[in-house]
Amino acid sequence: MNSEVSSPPARPPEAARRALIAERRNNSLFWRVVHVFGSLKLALFLLAIIAVACAVATFYEAGFNAKVAQAHIYKAPWFLFWIGLLCVNLIAVTLTRWPWQKKHTGFIITHYGIVLLLIGAMIGSRMGFEGNVTLHKDSPPLNRITTSRSVIQIEGPVDTALYIRQFDAAVTRPSERRPRRFPVPGTAWTIVATDFSEDLTRDHSLQPSQSPADPPGVELTFTGAMAGEEGRRFQLAADGEAGEADFFGMARIRLLRELPERESAQVSETQMVFAGYAPVVEGRKADAGPEFRLSPDGKQLTVRTPEGVSATYNRAEIEGASVTAGEYAFVLREYWPDFEMRDGRPASASEEPNNPAALVQVFSGGGEAGLLLELAPSGPDRVAFQLSRGGTISANGEVAAGESFGTGWGDWVARLDAFHPKARLHSETRPVDADKGEEATGIPGFLAFLDTGDGVAGEPVWVESGAVTTLRAGDRFVRMGYGLELRPVPFSIRLLDFEVPRFEGTQTPSNYIATVEFRDPTTGERKTGQARMNHPASWPGGVWAHVTGINYKFSQAEWNPQDLGETTLQVLYDPGWLLKWIGSLAICIGITILFYWKPRSGTARVKS
Amino acid sequence: MKNLVAILIMSGLAWPAVASAAVTDFSVLEPMVVQEGGRQKPYFVFAEESLLAMSGRTGIETGDGRMDAMGVVTRMWFEPEEWIETPMLLVDHRPLKIEAGLDASRKHFSYQELARSEGLRALLVEAAAERSRDPSERLQGLLKEAADVGMRLAVFEGLANGSLFRVVPRAGGGAWRILPDGQPEFDAMRTAFFGGEQEAFDRAAQGLMRHLEEIAPGDRLSERLVALEIFYQKLHPFRWAWILYLASGIVLGVTWMKGRRFGYSAAWTLAVAGLGFQIFGFVCRVLISGRAPVTNMYESVIWVAFGTILFALVFEALNRSRFYLLGAIPVAVVSLILADTQPVALDPSITPLVPVLQSNFWLTTHVLTITLSYAAFALALGVAHIALGMVIAGRKPAQELYTYVYRALQVGVLLLASGTILGGVWANYSWGRFWDWDPKETWALVALLAYLFVLHGRVAGKWAGFGISVGAILAFQTIIMAWYGVNFVLGTGLHSYGFGTGGLPMAIGFVGFELLFTGVAIWRHVAGGKSAKPAPSKQVGTPITP
Repeated sequence: MNSEVSSPPARPPEAARRALIAERRNNSLFWRVVHVFGSLKLALFLLAIIAVACAVATFYEAGFNAKVAQAHIYKAPWFLFWIGLLCVNLIAVTLTRWPWQKKHTGFIITHYGIVLLLIGAMIGSRMGFEGNVTLHKDSPPLNRITTSRSVIQIEGPVDTALYIRQFDAAVTRPSERRPRRFPVPGTAWTIVATDFSEDLTRDHSLQPSQSPADPPGVELTFTGAMAGEEGRRFQLAADGEAGEADFFGMARIRLLRELPERESAQVSETQMVFAGYAPVVEGRKADAGPEFRLSPDGKQLTVRTPEGVSATYNRAEIEGASVTAGEYAFVLREYWPDFEMRDGRPASASEEPNNPAALVQVFSGGGEAGLLLELAPSGPDRVAFQLSRGGTISANGEVAAGESFGTGWGDWVARLDAFHPKARLHSETRPVDADKGEEATGIPGFLAFLDTGDGVAGEPVWVESGAVTTLRAGDRFVRMGYGLELRPVPFSIRLLDFEVPRFEGTQTPSNYIATVEFRDPTTGERKTGQARMNHPASWPGGVWAHVTGINYKFSQAEWNPQDLGETTLQVLYDPGWLLKWIGSLAICIGITILFYWKPRSGTARVKS
Repeated sequence: MKNLVAILIMSGLAWPAVASAAVTDFSVLEPMVVQEGGRQKPYFVFAEESLLAMSGRTGIETGDGRMDAMGVVTRMWFEPEEWIETPMLLVDHRPLKIEAGLDASRKHFSYQELARSEGLRALLVEAAAERSRDPSERLQGLLKEAADVGMRLAVFEGLANGSLFRVVPRAGGGAWRILPDGQPEFDAMRTAFFGGEQEAFDRAAQGLMRHLEEIAPGDRLSERLVALEIFYQKLHPFRWAWILYLASGIVLGVTWMKGRRFGYSAAWTLAVAGLGFQIFGFVCRVLISGRAPVTNMYESVIWVAFGTILFALVFEALNRSRFYLLGAIPVAVVSLILADTQPVALDPSITPLVPVLQSNFWLTTHVLTITLSYAAFALALGVAHIALGMVIAGRKPAQELYTYVYRALQVGVLLLASGTILGGVWANYSWGRFWDWDPKETWALVALLAYLFVLHGRVAGKWAGFGISVGAILAFQTIIMAWYGVNFVLGTGLHSYGFGTGGLPMAIGFVGFELLFTGVAIWRHVAGGKSAKPAPSKQVGTPITP
């Protein structure tokens, strides 16, 4: 750059070169265009405009989120246009110096380095992809990856095939004025999206019905210290999901057609679990119950039920609590780091985990280890209730609408507001109302209706991310879904092990180490890799793949403190890596040459 | 805050003896190893860091004079109830003081005052609820300030109920424990403390330390590291560095007219000595923490000061111009004084790294390179100030002064470009991606583009020496944003491990002053007419070797 201006006063050959450049610029349209695109004015303009756009984007990002900033600025067509123009400018400016001399070395290397870097980036963003995959230690291998791209899926009403189209409502943000239309394959209909919300919630309302097939329903209100004056309302309809509700995580409420028989405690068995020995099981019935495993350091407890449900817990976090595992529930009653029998009683010889052992109580029957309220109709206008604790009934009785009963859960009192022998639970999705103090849910979605093209437009419905929604117009309907795209990959991945070491004396993780196994289903080739912090696992693993970067990289993204057998890895595929790498190297070398290397012989040769 | 009740009850049961002030020297405990904040450290460092965390200072004023951290923390260990009414907890945020119903004119409050503030309690409950709702989200405004005060209260509580004094080692890297009730040496210490017997106290403390050393010798900090860390903590090498740099600058200024030769040598010697102290400080921090010393704001500020002086001395060795050193010294002195006096915004304690920053080659090279580029730009900034200062004073700066600015800019551009790219290499290595428009990355790019704009404008003949100097100052504002603003103002993105608060008025003041300064210089330059405009930049591109 500066070598042009700062070169010694024009010598004859240099003057001749300049004359040549000036002459072709005057006589040839091609060269005139090259000079226009390679002008320093354009370079200054581009440097300024890109810098300002980037600066604005960071504030924009702080106000919205990274995804919106990327879509509206960094990946917006106008920004890409400027980047493209910058490429043209970089190439053109090197052409204006043609024929190149030695003194141009640094200048050429730097400018083409940037071009290579930008081309690499373009290849990466066009042909590569980014996603994530959640793996579980005991789950079968996966060969699909959740990408970060949002799509809508439409079920063709004619062929019932699934059609996928890229659509990110959070970025495009459809509105009344700028609706988005999606043709429904095989028909003349269109789905029209007219609004967007970042936070959708579902309202449930119980409505009495006449249909004999519908289940009974109840409306309950709980009042107590935590709920304030209004109380907490529940609406339940027996059967399925709507028949069960969670009460602040401390109890469950269930409406059934008939109350199940419960009697005394249903501790089905007690297990003494050793890290070093086989467990000692007491009271096991004919069928095999869940198996437990304690890690050698006594810090983790793994449970596996005969049905194959399995989970790993931090021992210290679940001590004394009731934990559900499939059909069972268990409570870790006691733990000894250094187990021994002393005076005929279990005790711990020291605090060191020399012989970790744990006493686990298993409850069978739907995991009823905790607090449970069961309700069932007992007459045309009466409901029977049954309160149980760890499978044992603590209270029962009958109530009619308007009557209350104590729950024994702290000072909570339940009131039966209404009982419908036949009822239907309607659920309606809507955006949360921040003005009323409703909390953000983080579930995005858009408002859409079905337009059948013959003047019939259906009711607009909120389409929630991750759920299947049916749009109706008259008697016609189409099923659709909205969410992140799943992408198949040509190999499978399985989690072998996941460890979270901690800083000494704290619970703060010092690393996350996932050991995974890759397998190519066509060749049967297997490879084990380890994804640590700052050290991704990759597939395929050959030298060539490493150097070119044409491979899938798996790096640690998220973990689940409640289940140490689960981890989420970020997946990246970037075929542009090699160009970016060469370009980067060229930029660094180029600038060094440009600033600190002045050829002496170069000018001499020009002179001769 | 529920611990207040416990402490108040304890105070009722407290030892009947009234402490006589006879035991005043606790230095015997200095090398006792404590486990805290994810690492082991000498008791001396633990005491200073704990007091710093609570009150933002390493000593507090009591009725009978200043008491150092060792005194405060050790006394809290023996007689926590005595400290409940001592105004030692820092609350600096004015709106928070008003919201909490505290006296807005004071900076330090007692635990009791804070614990009784309904307003603060409400804010802390809200902050806790906010955090449990989304642990990854950063608290903002009042809640953030309240949470900071909550942390100070937690440190106080930890000291008052003794749970922070984790001195009993445990084999295998587990959590250390506090002394069990009735530990004989500790009881002897307590008796000596309340009896006012200094010698007996020292004997008992030594006995306790011997006892603790025997528990898990393999898992303890080595004696040498303990001694080194205490020495480092007491020496304040970075304070010595700025004092020496300042002296160097004063000598350089005083001998500008007379005795130049002697003055120049003296300034060199002082600056090199200051650099020596900085290097010693860095070596200590590396040995103590086992990693490169640029992972938080405090370390990067000190590193920039170091780089600025280093580049100035290298250029001085090549050019012997004085201007490099004169430009670098104010930058280095101001940064080091900030680091020395603002422990709340720039926390000097050595903490373990979050997993993402754990030691690896690319991290070290990336961060060191980027921070060195800030140093080179800071040098350009210093020299540009001299040049523009001369313009404002109505004198025409020598052409070579502009050349110096340009050379410093060259170093900066090379390092910033390389450092940003190395960051991409590291990101690719660690997260599998090269560039993700993370705010920190983006601002590094913005700064690079700004400096490239300045350099290309010169090539295009739009401006020369004066314009380069103006550019060196204006473009440095993007460095301020990339360095400080992203972490402290924007507060989003992947580089979140460096986030902090504080110093915003100072940063805004700095930017405002710089804009004003350049504005005045441009006005003087234009008013001074074309005559002040330097000749075309012939000298600018000459090789740096004379």
